[in-house]
Amino acid sequence: MEIFWHTIARYNAATWPVQIVLVAAAVALTVLLYRRPTSTVRKLTKLYLALLNAWIAVAYYSVYCAQRDYHYIPAFFWGAMAAVWVYDLCTGYTTFERTYRHDRFTAVLYLLPFLYPVFSLLRGLEFPGITTPVMPCCVAVYTVALLLAFSRRVNLFVILILCHWAILGLSKVYFFRMPEDSLLTCSIVPALYLFFKEYIDTHLDATTKPDARTMHRLLVLLCVVVGVFFAVAIVHEFAEGIL
Amino acid sequence: MIESEDELKRVGRFIAEYAARLLGAGVHTSRVVRNSKRIGRSQGVDVRMTTLQKTVVMTLCTPSGSIVRTEVIDIAALPIGFELNSDLSALSWEACDEHLSLEELRRRYERIISKPRIDPMFVLVVVGLANASFCKLFGGDWTAVGVVFTATLIGFYTRQRLQLRGVNHYIVFVVSAFVASICASSALMFDTTAEIAIATSVLYLIPGVPLINGVIDIVEGHVLIGCTRLIHSLLLVFCIAAGLSATLLLVKNSLL
Amino acid sequence: MIPADILSDGFFAAVAAIGFGAISDPPMRAFPYIAALAAAGHALRFCLMEALGVDIASASLCASFLIGMGSLWFGTRIRCPMTVLYIPALLPMVPGMYAYKVVFSLIMFMQNLADPVAGEHYMQQLFLNAVVACSVIFMLALGATLPIFLFNDKAYSLTRRKKP
Repeated sequence: MEIFWHTIARYNAATWPVQIVLVAAAVALTVLLYRRPTSTVRKLTKLYLALLNAWIAVAYYSVYCAQRDYHYIPAFFWGAMAAVWVYDLCTGYTTFERTYRHDRFTAVLYLLPFLYPVFSLLRGLEFPGITTPVMPCCVAVYTVALLLAFSRRVNLFVILILCHWAILGLSKVYFFRMPEDSLLTCSIVPALYLFFKEYIDTHLDATTKPDARTMHRLLVLLCVVVGVFFAVAIVHEFAEGIL
Repeated sequence: MIESEDELKRVGRFIAEYAARLLGAGVHTSRVVRNSKRIGRSQGVDVRMTTLQKTVVMTLCTPSGSIVRTEVIDIAALPIGFELNSDLSALSWEACDEHLSLEELRRRYERIISKPRIDPMFVLVVVGLANASFCKLFGGDWTAVGVVFTATLIGFYTRQRLQLRGVNHYIVFVVSAFVASICASSALMFDTTAEIAIATSVLYLIPGVPLINGVIDIVEGHVLIGCTRLIHSLLLVFCIAAGLSATLLLVKNSLL
Repeated sequence: MIPADILSDGFFAAVAAIGFGAISDPPMRAFPYIAALAAAGHALRFCLMEALGVDIASASLCASFLIGMGSLWFGTRIRCPMTVLYIPALLPMVPGMYAYKVVFSLIMFMQNLADPVAGEHYMQQLFLNAVVACSVIFMLALGATLPIFLFNDKAYSLTRRKKP
């Protein structure tokens, strides 16, 4: 646990200028995507996401977190994510077409990466030993937000990998005393619900097996179960922290 | 009753197609033989058949033995379909009990095989849940269960995408076993039952249906095709082992 | 050996059976029966192994026989062939951990070729786990198929609408 926070502090102290540049680029690209969604902007966004994921894989995990055990597993993971985005850039699978459906929820999600450092400061941590927006979980939240806002056609691989990361984030809350990560896990359940809802609405009807209504009920049930599971885990963790 | 060569030809074509469809959808041999003979009887034809892994050879003759015809048909490798198995078996009884004409049989058959298959996204989610509860059955803790759930989702989605693209079966199994186990190996970062997570993450790939069908075929006397099925599923198990060992070799230092 | 353990064992086996069954596209009406069979079978095996100390192969045989009989009974009610019900229900009992240990000890054996003591250990592990895994799978298939041999006529006409 000490190593965990120590590596974070070292990463922040060394790379904060780059982090600011990355955040600025993210903000600029997101605004452009909303205001003037040309194909160049879309391609640039994909390129940026590939770069961002590669940055997490190389700079964060391989260089600054090398002291942690098994740092190469998440490094491999985020490397794979970067590869998926490069593949997406080449084939043009994700179209980044806006759906206008989940605007309020995505607005909250866009704010979350900035809430991470605030949350850390509120807990009484001090720079550089705090969570910042250019860390794996914030990147995951940002990607989920982007995909939800432009969810006409999304790469399910990215969503599933992010989901996996959210589960790991929940474990981090437990094992590394990092309650900030519960933000990610809390946001992934409604996001998943919305993604699958969209799938059910577009792909299923009364003739498919199982039909759309059953499927929707099962989805609600699943989300409730997962949500309760997460809630119990998080509450349990906080209760332990207070005691 | 059958009187001309042409009529026998049409009945033969239908029964051959029916048998090949059943075998391709993973039905054990004795049931296919029984069902085909039953349909043949309902049309007034004797059916005798030999089944192999890739082809069915059947000879049809009228009860008097005056007209004889042989059909050889390839078995396409279809995805396993239990609903098809159930409906087509029921069709053979309907043919026998309701004395259906060949045209009516053909019509019902077309309706059955054009039924929609179960939705892939539904399968994806329930397979994830299934593997996660498998992990719990083997004594994993809740962190491992969660990790196995999402690792299985990623692995199974990989498998679905690769199969849609028509990639070779064996390669699909190696790749998806590797993907699922490497995702599950991220449980190593935490103090949890990571070994159980890695072990169970690939179990969704186990070809349970051909394995059990193989044993059923052998004990029912269709030893040849039973062994073929067993060998085929053993090859798939070896593929899973190959994918899993790739992961283990990458992270094994921790498991020693 | 608490009832809660048995119940949770049955529950997780049911979920596992539904999921692995869904890959093979069974009829929607079969799902509840598949779940019930899997839960009953797995809980029986759990009880036999924990309470009576029966070995895994014999316990699997008993459990799969129960599943086979159950599928014969349910099969007549929903007009499904027995295999449609019992194959998914058997899948949660596939000895996955043993199969994993086979692969693991094979890898470790290859890594320790120079060390005869460790090599012998891993070779022994390899055989032990392989024998257990194979015999359990064989017992599972055998136990579930036994009812077909015992009740031949009934088992062959489950999907018949008009009973003779």
